[in-house]
Amino acid sequence: MELRVIEKTDAELRMEIAGEDHTFMNVLKGALLETPGVTAATYDMNPEQSGGQTEPILSIKTEEGTDPLDAVGDASRRVQDLADDFVTAFDAAA
Amino acid sequence: MMIPVRCFTCGKVIGEHWEEYQARLDDGEDPAEVLDDLGVTRHCCRRMFVSHKDLVDVVSPYQ
Amino acid sequence: MVADFEVEFIERDDRNARFLVRGASPAFANGIRRAMIADVPTFSIDTVRFVENSSVMFDEMIGLRLGLVPLTTPLDDFEVGETVTLALDVEGPGTAYSGDIETSDDLVEPADDNIPIIELKEQQRIELEADAVLDTGREHAKHQGGVAVGYRHLQRVEVVGDAGEFDEGEPNILRGVIETEDGELVATDEFDHDLAERYPGKELAVHDVPGAFVFHVETDGSFSVEELVTRAAESIGARAAELETKVAV
Repeated sequence: MELRVIEKTDAELRMEIAGEDHTFMNVLKGALLETPGVTAATYDMNPEQSGGQTEPILSIKTEEGTDPLDAVGDASRRVQDLADDFVTAFDAAA
Repeated sequence: MMIPVRCFTCGKVIGEHWEEYQARLDDGEDPAEVLDDLGVTRHCCRRMFVSHKDLVDVVSPYQ
Repeated sequence: MVADFEVEFIERDDRNARFLVRGASPAFANGIRRAMIADVPTFSIDTVRFVENSSVMFDEMIGLRLGLVPLTTPLDDFEVGETVTLALDVEGPGTAYSGDIETSDDLVEPADDNIPIIELKEQQRIELEADAVLDTGREHAKHQGGVAVGYRHLQRVEVVGDAGEFDEGEPNILRGVIETEDGELVATDEFDHDLAERYPGKELAVHDVPGAFVFHVETDGSFSVEELVTRAAESIGARAAELETKVAV
């Protein structure tokens, strides 16, 4: 996983997350949308035909007072909690 | 030539059932029942058996 | 606890299971499914050195067949990229089976013993040495541990009334798992996938239950279903952890 920030302001972030695909990006996007302070989140996996960009680009907009990078941190914390809780619940049933 | 190791579509390992399938068909059993019994339930896996022909005996004289 | 997951098994044996997960978002369910297919590594033969091959098949064809043979994969003991050497030496007449493959490490051996590799005639012989490598399904489909992994929504079936007296008794086909009004989970194959069989003469309403996914997971024998599912969830968690640390810098 290689990160490259393309554009960053107090309320917006565009960042390339190289080496990932829909498996992780969609889960991350889902978690971002449930993170407080995030107004919009999406990711784009450009197909090669549209100019050679193949790595996913994450775009976020946040409310005032929330740094977009912090929001990404919060969301990835949330994804970890989700995964841990899932494993716990699964092991309990298994 | 030889029965494929896995189903082309879903990837289930099916090669191991081929010899039993052949033997039971020769005993006059119904192919559908044999496949159900072997646990080959999806139609992608079932076609692997139904459409297969062993060709080793045909090819081997020409080696 | 950020989410209240509830997991319940409907069908279960070593290589095949169906279980219900409640409280998952579609994104998370799909992430788990994709991770099971592409991100949980298994051993598979990758390089073959032929000493002798006088069978009716070319080296490459045998190589392909060997690659597809599932090998048991103890994920605690190996890292992605590590290799294990295997060997096969069979003389005709007879068939070389996956069970004839000798392994240098007892932890990694063919998961099924009866897969025919090649039928050998009189005076035909096959002798080879092969390297199995641990890699993911993203690299090559032969490394996929999960076979036909998927999920469906849980469907709730409610009786809303009696069917009209002169209605045609048409079949009402539904596949997957249903939840009855008493909260009982029933796999549809118990009533031949036909709701008309289970609720004869009733008018029914069928709804998807939000956030409830019925996973069907089958493995190729490399490891158990439980191992596959937990490893998939952990791989998502591990990536999130990596992102969190990288973002924090």
